[in-house]
Amino acid sequence: MNSVVFKKELKRNRKNTVIWTAIVVGFTALILSIFPSFSEMGEEMAKLMSSLPEEYAKALGMDEETWSSIIGYYGTYYGIYITLLMGIFTASTGATIIGKEERDGTAEFLLTRPISRGSIATTKLMALGALFLIVYGIQTLSAVIGLLVFGEDVNWSVMTTMHVHGFFLVGFFTASGVLMSSFLSPKLNYMGPVVGLIFGSYFLNAISMAAEKVSWLGYFSPYHYLNLTAKNGVLELNLIACFGASVVSAILLWISYKRYLTRDIVG
Amino acid sequence: MSTIELSSLSKFYGNQCGIDSVSFAVKKGEIFGFIGPNGSGKSTTIRTLLGLLSPTSGKATIMGMDISTEGATIREKVGYLPSEVDYYSEMSSKDLLLYHAAIYRVQDAEHKIQELATYFQLDLDRRIDDLSYGNKKKCAIIQSVLHDPEVLILDEPTGGLDPLMQNRFFELLERLNKKGVTIFFSSHVLSEIQRMCDRAAIIREGKIAAVEDISALLSKQMKKVRLVTTSAGNLPLPDGAQNHHQSGQKHTFDYVGPTQDLVTWLSSQAILDVTLSEPDLESIFMNYYQS
Repeated sequence: MNSVVFKKELKRNRKNTVIWTAIVVGFTALILSIFPSFSEMGEEMAKLMSSLPEEYAKALGMDEETWSSIIGYYGTYYGIYITLLMGIFTASTGATIIGKEERDGTAEFLLTRPISRGSIATTKLMALGALFLIVYGIQTLSAVIGLLVFGEDVNWSVMTTMHVHGFFLVGFFTASGVLMSSFLSPKLNYMGPVVGLIFGSYFLNAISMAAEKVSWLGYFSPYHYLNLTAKNGVLELNLIACFGASVVSAILLWISYKRYLTRDIVG
Repeated sequence: MSTIELSSLSKFYGNQCGIDSVSFAVKKGEIFGFIGPNGSGKSTTIRTLLGLLSPTSGKATIMGMDISTEGATIREKVGYLPSEVDYYSEMSSKDLLLYHAAIYRVQDAEHKIQELATYFQLDLDRRIDDLSYGNKKKCAIIQSVLHDPEVLILDEPTGGLDPLMQNRFFELLERLNKKGVTIFFSSHVLSEIQRMCDRAAIIREGKIAAVEDISALLSKQMKKVRLVTTSAGNLPLPDGAQNHHQSGQKHTFDYVGPTQDLVTWLSSQAILDVTLSEPDLESIFMNYYQS
């Protein structure tokens, strides 16, 4: 790893990271701060829930717990919005951290310095990992603070499992973003494919939960394996899914790395 | 041992030829020209030497090190000036040069950068994005020499520079060359190659047409002669004249031969005006092949 390039990558992505971190932290704070109001309206919300089509509630991962316990409530929003937002940020950063250099023509500058391609790729992936950990870490911290402030009798075990699953889920999206940049043209705007991948994964799982007939669709979505919402106050840690996501992510990164070593920079 | 040595180096993009079996050697301490029209394979050769492109076949070494396996070590000792300057637009020239210096661990970088910026009249505080093409080129020149390279690889180095800056740049190259720096000078401007280089390779359609001493190249060089005579009569042409056209008192012809003979011939004619010009590269190549 090259420390000069590492610092440059962090600096280059600083503004984006601050913006996206502010978005996810702000969203976390917002949803947790309004939980007490929902909680006070417990019975009315339960009625509202029962009036919703069952399939719709299932697709959104909502049940009675969504309104009666803060962790159920938080889990619903964590699964729907927060992982999606973090995934979009880290996957798009993963897609551009290598590809942007080629698109902007700066790859020629970087690759004609006395640094091997392997070292450049490793450095960029390390910088990406650091950015991922910053966003993920600060969001988790803000959630812990929010749960302590606005919740009572928080089920920390469910919260931990939710965030461990979220870590591997967002990690998988990040690795997918890196892989995209290895195979797609550097002139392409990666945001479209990134958003498509993440929303596609989410909706595949949502549809599979809503309708029995197409429940098999869930097998194609990482959300199916790395569940983010508790049922009846229970969310079990799926160690096999965590391990599988790690292996798949590592393979995606390895393919991207190998491709970067031999990729022609045409100019 | 040659400082740069290419042996049957080829680069194909699918079926499309970038360069085909390119071979030549650049001696230590030499200023070596690499000349050819746009799209002839000059940049492809350079990009392959620097590891931006993987060669399809063949081999090349710089200072005895293989470009395919020892690229990073080679680049430690090489300065590269690209033809198109694409740098980090959000950085200032100073930040970019300090970034470059940090990668190369250049001692006393700030002082060196300031000295070179003053020499080339570059405003270091302006963002790269706000620089003109000529100023970007100056920034590129400074980064190419900042780390005291042993080999300089220059790809169309004077594009965007005004004549004063071109002159300063050539003087800098001459100083570096006197200190022992080997210079690989790629250009499509023959007069630049004539001024700076000892020898040159001519590349055309991805293949090396010749590797010549500049003096040999010049002896085969064609000049376009345009002259206006005092009367509209027949003009006895010198040896080496071809493609003669006459319109009244105006004559144009191509001349191949010793320049001294042409000057002697011109001085013996009754001439109102004369223009000698460098033909375009295609004409030079046609003449080169014919000769």
